[in-house]
Amino acid sequence: MQTQTTPKQTAATTTNGPDLKSLRLPANYGATLGVKKLLTNVLVGKPKKPQFFRTHASDEMTFPAMILENKEARESYVVVPEVAQEISELVRPVMLHAAIDRQNNVSLIPVPLPGEDGTRNPWHESLAQAVEHAKLKWIRITANMHAGGYDVYEAEGELPEPEWPAHDIDALVQVAFRGKIITSLDHPVVQSLLGKI
Amino acid sequence: MTALNFSDGIYLVDFEFHSAHGREGNLPVPVCMVVREWPSGRTSRYWQADLQQMGTAPFLTGENALCVAYYASAEMDCFHVLGWAPPANVLDLFTEFRCLTNGLRLGHGSGLLGALMHYGLPSVGGEQKDVMRDLILTGGPWSPAEEMAILDYCETDVVALDNLLTAMQDQIDWPRALLRGRYMQAVSCIQMNGVPIDAEALEKLQTHWVAIQDQLIADIDSDYGVYDGRTFKASRWEEYLVANDIPWPRLESGRLDMCDATFREMARTYVEVAPIRELRSALSEMRLANLHVGDDERNRCLLSPFRARTGRNQPSNSKFIFGPSVWLRGLIRPKPGWGLAYVDWSQQEFGIAAALSGDPAMMAAYRSGDPYLAFAIQAGAVPKTATKKTHEAEREQFKACVLAVQYGMGEASLAARINQPVARARQLLALHRHTYRKFWKWSDSAVDEAVLGGRLWAGFGWQIHTRDELNDRSLRNFPMQANGAEMLRIASILLTEAGIRVCAPVHDALLIEAPLDELDQAIVTTKSLMQEASRIVLDGFELGSDVKEVRYPDRYMDKRGAVMWNKVMKLIGEPALS
Repeated sequence: MQTQTTPKQTAATTTNGPDLKSLRLPANYGATLGVKKLLTNVLVGKPKKPQFFRTHASDEMTFPAMILENKEARESYVVVPEVAQEISELVRPVMLHAAIDRQNNVSLIPVPLPGEDGTRNPWHESLAQAVEHAKLKWIRITANMHAGGYDVYEAEGELPEPEWPAHDIDALVQVAFRGKIITSLDHPVVQSLLGKI
Repeated sequence: MTALNFSDGIYLVDFEFHSAHGREGNLPVPVCMVVREWPSGRTSRYWQADLQQMGTAPFLTGENALCVAYYASAEMDCFHVLGWAPPANVLDLFTEFRCLTNGLRLGHGSGLLGALMHYGLPSVGGEQKDVMRDLILTGGPWSPAEEMAILDYCETDVVALDNLLTAMQDQIDWPRALLRGRYMQAVSCIQMNGVPIDAEALEKLQTHWVAIQDQLIADIDSDYGVYDGRTFKASRWEEYLVANDIPWPRLESGRLDMCDATFREMARTYVEVAPIRELRSALSEMRLANLHVGDDERNRCLLSPFRARTGRNQPSNSKFIFGPSVWLRGLIRPKPGWGLAYVDWSQQEFGIAAALSGDPAMMAAYRSGDPYLAFAIQAGAVPKTATKKTHEAEREQFKACVLAVQYGMGEASLAARINQPVARARQLLALHRHTYRKFWKWSDSAVDEAVLGGRLWAGFGWQIHTRDELNDRSLRNFPMQANGAEMLRIASILLTEAGIRVCAPVHDALLIEAPLDELDQAIVTTKSLMQEASRIVLDGFELGSDVKEVRYPDRYMDKRGAVMWNKVMKLIGEPALS
């Protein structure tokens, strides 16, 4: 029988058996379960002051719309053209731009379109410029009351490109304005704004 | 592959044995062996005198035969001491039972009896097992009737194996089961080798430990003033913390969190906490008498492979030299003419996370050699030209953030760790999510898989059932821990089969030894095989390793325990570390 006075190694002499790599199982968790994040919320409005954001660079991710804002309730409604014609003083034409923040929250930024004379007020103009800038850079904006426009702050770090959800602009608008599309003058918000109720 | 692949037969094997001279830490002395062929049931019984005369196992052990055991490292230990060539193929029904049921609530544990009961199979009673074990542990001599009883008892275990293999064979993932069996052979090699211990220092410690405790308290506590006799006073500790401006975690009740894990964690941030933590740990946990050291001055104990839920080894804290307080690791000392090397994978968890998630930024950070600084650069927090010297403070914060993610820490814990406002911790954690998006997506998928699929697995088949485990932190950490365990197992196999003398596996490290003139080459081989193990587990991604060498007459020491070691040595009149 073997004694145990010296540290003698009894090496195993088995063969190497199958190629170990061939036994490896992939760590593809969730691959067959098909879990995906649903797009359930899309905010409408300007990003908040501390929020860095990007806008989608593609024109296909913009959506022209007539918007009715209920400022008291801080709500925005899309109004179909036939109704918009009837309440033109209450609605304004905007371009909705798909935007995303650093936490991957998707939103729509309404940028008012120029008037019939082709001009915009300075606030709208500076917002349009900021949205354009955000197609390439992470920015945040703050209102500068003195200058009458938005100051734009560009992130200095090399931040990664945004990861856009695989939804087209129609899907974003559908989610953003779920239950907030006005298709008739009988809509209670319209009735209220016209002083009929 | 199935059980039918073994044309030279399947042999169910069980040994009875006891420790030489009745001393734990000594090599086993085989008492008898019973072998049963499966499925024929033909059985052979061998008493110890027969075994000692055999040069090889009395059954086929080549490429086309299979040796089956329950907790096979013990059987392989007997092969070692008998000088038999190890079997080419080993199936351990213990590892397979653990793998099949890990994470499930078992009514009767994962011992042989528990496995039999799990499958509704007959077994001898636990009481009878205890009686027979006690009889075997007496070390003999045994009467003829006792010999017969021991052999009968041993035979009941191979009959149990027969039933168990029949019940389990269709559930076994055969190719990976044989790999686990191969690991149990490596475990046996490691257990047989053991860790060299400075027995003289250990004996002095054992002799003087009770007497020096008061002196030790007086010596260390002079900087703190928190002990009253041998009692640690929480109120005094609170006063110390206030006086030294150390923010300490509290329990929901408002009282200070006094658990050892908190002391250990805080000692990493506040070095002044380390000595008192070591003292508390030493006084409360140290059971020097329990440390298993054999007559040849080597620490040997069961490494308890596959005992942890992650598949890691889980040796007894009190029996294993790497279990008690870190300062006691100073007892590890190579024998004259020998050296030791402690080789651990560099940032193993980070590397595993990077490779398995396929996150390119994370892989680039690992490959940079300094993932913490690379993370800070990638996050845009420091310039690309930053170095460990120019941006040490930032690097430390990003390092803490990486570790916090690995441990599943929240922003409050991270803030305490880096001694910064919670807002900074929140910012760091957000930067991790932004910088390593692919990793986070993969990590989220692991949680989805666990919750919806009810199971998570590692690269070589170790798995956990997760129906009862909905702890987000544990679920996210499982792939890193379990694949780290797979990596250590494969490295252990490669090293022991290459003839490297492995003394102990320690979480993400291996302690090896070699004669001084062979130590350098042994280290080169070890590093190379550990790299190979990482490539095997991580589909080609390679992890580096770090080495700490100890050459006789130096002793091993974990730097966290050096102060305590020196204080104790001074008290017992031994030289301190140089």
